[in-house]
Amino acid sequence: MTSTTTTPGGLERPAVRRRRRKLTFDRVSFMAVFLILPLAIFVIFVISPFVQALYYSLTDWTGFSPTMDFVGLSNYVKLFGDDIFLHALRNNVLLAVVVPFVTIVLALAISVMITIGGPSKGMIRGLKGSSFYRVISFFPYTVPAIVIGLIWAEVYDPSAGLLNGVLTGLGLKGFADFPWLGDTRTAMPVSMFVIVWSFVGFYTVLFVAAIKGVPAETLEAARLDGAGRLRMAVSIVIPQIRDNVQTAYIYLGIAALDAFVYMQAMNPGGGPDNSTLTMSQELFTVAFRKGQFGYATAMGVVLAAVTLLFAAVVFTVSRLTAGRDVPRAASVRRAEAAAPLAKESRA
Amino acid sequence: MSTKDGSLGRRTFMRGALATAVALPLAGTLASCAAPSGNSSSSSSGAKKSSDNPFGLSETASIEAVIFNGGYGYDYVQYAAKQVQKKFGKTTIKVSPSTQIAQELQPRFVGGNPPDLIDNSGAGAIGFNTITDQLETLDDVFEADNYEGTKISDTLYPAVKDPGTYSGKFVALNYVMTVYAVWYSASLFDENGWTAPKTWDETLDLGSKAKAKGKYLFVWGKEAASYYLTMALDSAIKEGGKEVRLALENLEKNAWSQKPLMDVFKALETAVKNGFFVPGGAGTQFTAAQAKWSNDEQAILYPSGGWIENEMKKATKSGFKMTGAPEPTVSDSPTMPYESLRSAAGEPFIVPSQGKSPAGGKEILRAMLSKEAATNFSKTKLAPTIVKGLVPDDGFGSTALVSQTKMLDAAGDNVFNYQFYDYYGMNTDALVVWNSFLSGKLDATGLSQGMQKISDKVANDSSVKKLKVTD
Repeated sequence: MTSTTTTPGGLERPAVRRRRRKLTFDRVSFMAVFLILPLAIFVIFVISPFVQALYYSLTDWTGFSPTMDFVGLSNYVKLFGDDIFLHALRNNVLLAVVVPFVTIVLALAISVMITIGGPSKGMIRGLKGSSFYRVISFFPYTVPAIVIGLIWAEVYDPSAGLLNGVLTGLGLKGFADFPWLGDTRTAMPVSMFVIVWSFVGFYTVLFVAAIKGVPAETLEAARLDGAGRLRMAVSIVIPQIRDNVQTAYIYLGIAALDAFVYMQAMNPGGGPDNSTLTMSQELFTVAFRKGQFGYATAMGVVLAAVTLLFAAVVFTVSRLTAGRDVPRAASVRRAEAAAPLAKESRA
Repeated sequence: MSTKDGSLGRRTFMRGALATAVALPLAGTLASCAAPSGNSSSSSSGAKKSSDNPFGLSETASIEAVIFNGGYGYDYVQYAAKQVQKKFGKTTIKVSPSTQIAQELQPRFVGGNPPDLIDNSGAGAIGFNTITDQLETLDDVFEADNYEGTKISDTLYPAVKDPGTYSGKFVALNYVMTVYAVWYSASLFDENGWTAPKTWDETLDLGSKAKAKGKYLFVWGKEAASYYLTMALDSAIKEGGKEVRLALENLEKNAWSQKPLMDVFKALETAVKNGFFVPGGAGTQFTAAQAKWSNDEQAILYPSGGWIENEMKKATKSGFKMTGAPEPTVSDSPTMPYESLRSAAGEPFIVPSQGKSPAGGKEILRAMLSKEAATNFSKTKLAPTIVKGLVPDDGFGSTALVSQTKMLDAAGDNVFNYQFYDYYGMNTDALVVWNSFLSGKLDATGLSQGMQKISDKVANDSSVKKLKVTD
């Protein structure tokens, strides 16, 4: 069907290149499938809920009535005087700072060990049995988040939990009946640990794939120049997979800004002294328990704004620390320069 | 197609990825809530009202009920639905369970097509302050005759309308009689020669005795720390009378620092300081905590509602003989007698006005209040309904059920209840304060300030519709 229409189009193209192109069936159908349809889906399911949400955040909608009153910005004013919400906001910021950082450092360390951490003689390769470690590290990611949360909540149980069982078994009697999730000092760190634990495997696999894309010649050249494994990881691998790290950072940050499932499973009430309460949990409580959907929507808008801000910060930091394309170009140049050397050495 | 523009392509990709990523949390949290749309209400023209058909249910009506599927299940409503069907042969009745009432029914309320009968209960219940305007008043259900031919209001415990009456409008029929008390094992107490404490001094005394035996007085779980709030409020209301309760209900400025309440808080603080609570409650799931009382007998007392027996059925030591006693009072001469109880009918059933057949919803309620269905409920769920005199002396073999009936009889008219706590949805915030208090991180003053703050927050929020309680 399309073959008949492409031939004339193809022939005419040079002549009409700079003028408006003819709307052939081919072009129209292409635009319909690849432009209009996705755009329509985007507008209907993404943009319009956004706009709707913005509107609801300016009303006093209870969530159960078909009517609502416009109240202007009073929800937002209330929001910034709401100590519980601000506490939740602080918790989320803490999560967004700590969780992605720790997860990425761990995932990078593991993936480097798996791919280039092996013996320093012969081919660049990972540790012995690296494929086994790779599979093992992926395990937590295959378990649904809610299950992870519930399992860890049991592990942290003061009297019947595995953790205190092990600790007291080792002779640390001070941990008998210690409420890991019920103490303001520990609730947040142990919750963060669970989130990190569940994500590390996935990002390890992601980074392993990225590192495999780093040309072996570059690494070999570096090794010839006397670089150790740590030096290779820091100076060659990480700059080369910078984009992956940045993407990972943003995704993890968004996961940490939400964190609803983990927190709801481990501490549905927001933890001791609200120390693990997240904005999404507070939003849920306000909407469904207190019946203030307008106010809850305002919280959602703030959550979205914080998420955007977070992404912007990550981009800026990434740009400021050496600019995005510079390291790649530089390393490629370096790789090109090093390539003949590497070949020679292999010969 | 153009591979040479690698960097540009990547940048565009990143931008797209970012946009999508940002959309995810927002769309997830907000777009899933239904938006309000047109308002179409259609109530079927009913049949003529008669004493046999008091709500004018049409013969061919189809009725839909959504029932909270919690501790009591939902088969008891199916049982009543069958009775309705027997009487009105051509009606079709659908009874479906739900554990998340608010999330599931929110879009239907907004869309104007809610079910005809809802058991608005459980942690995911709809806050009454949001839907009161959309509900049928249920006074006519109590005025009707039951299936045995007696006027329903004559068969009920006193004051059962109160918990479902909001600002003077009776909109929620609470079906199950819930008694709030302190529960213990009669066999364990007999063995040690203990008796249920009547004052806080006796309670603390019992705590020392229990400690001597290597046991704790109380235990709590993180989701149920507020059970101690219930106990404290009940105790203070018994001590100080109606004024204490009204101040709390109307969110008054110093409601949480009234003397009787402070006395109870101080007694609890002493109990915490003396180590009478099983440690680590703030990190323990509540049913696991409750099992330390009912199964391990690590703790000897537990304040709770009458649902506790059913809830812990599978985790109760054999021969436990679960028995309830009224909450202790501060002094020997409280304003209300020691036997007074907070007892409220629970499991609020509501009939939305916009449903297809509100008459059908009411007819099911009428069937549930008949002798046969109510007896069936008590027998299978071991809990009393608001229909009195249906629990036999042996309580269907349950000591807890027998003691509930006994406590209710002893209390007579000295029964009270309060609504502000659930009405304003304070539980989530209060749990935080109570977990801190029971862990020993807050003292009585800090507890009182924390609760006052929660109360003030509601009081100062002009967008929340307030309750007016005068009695």
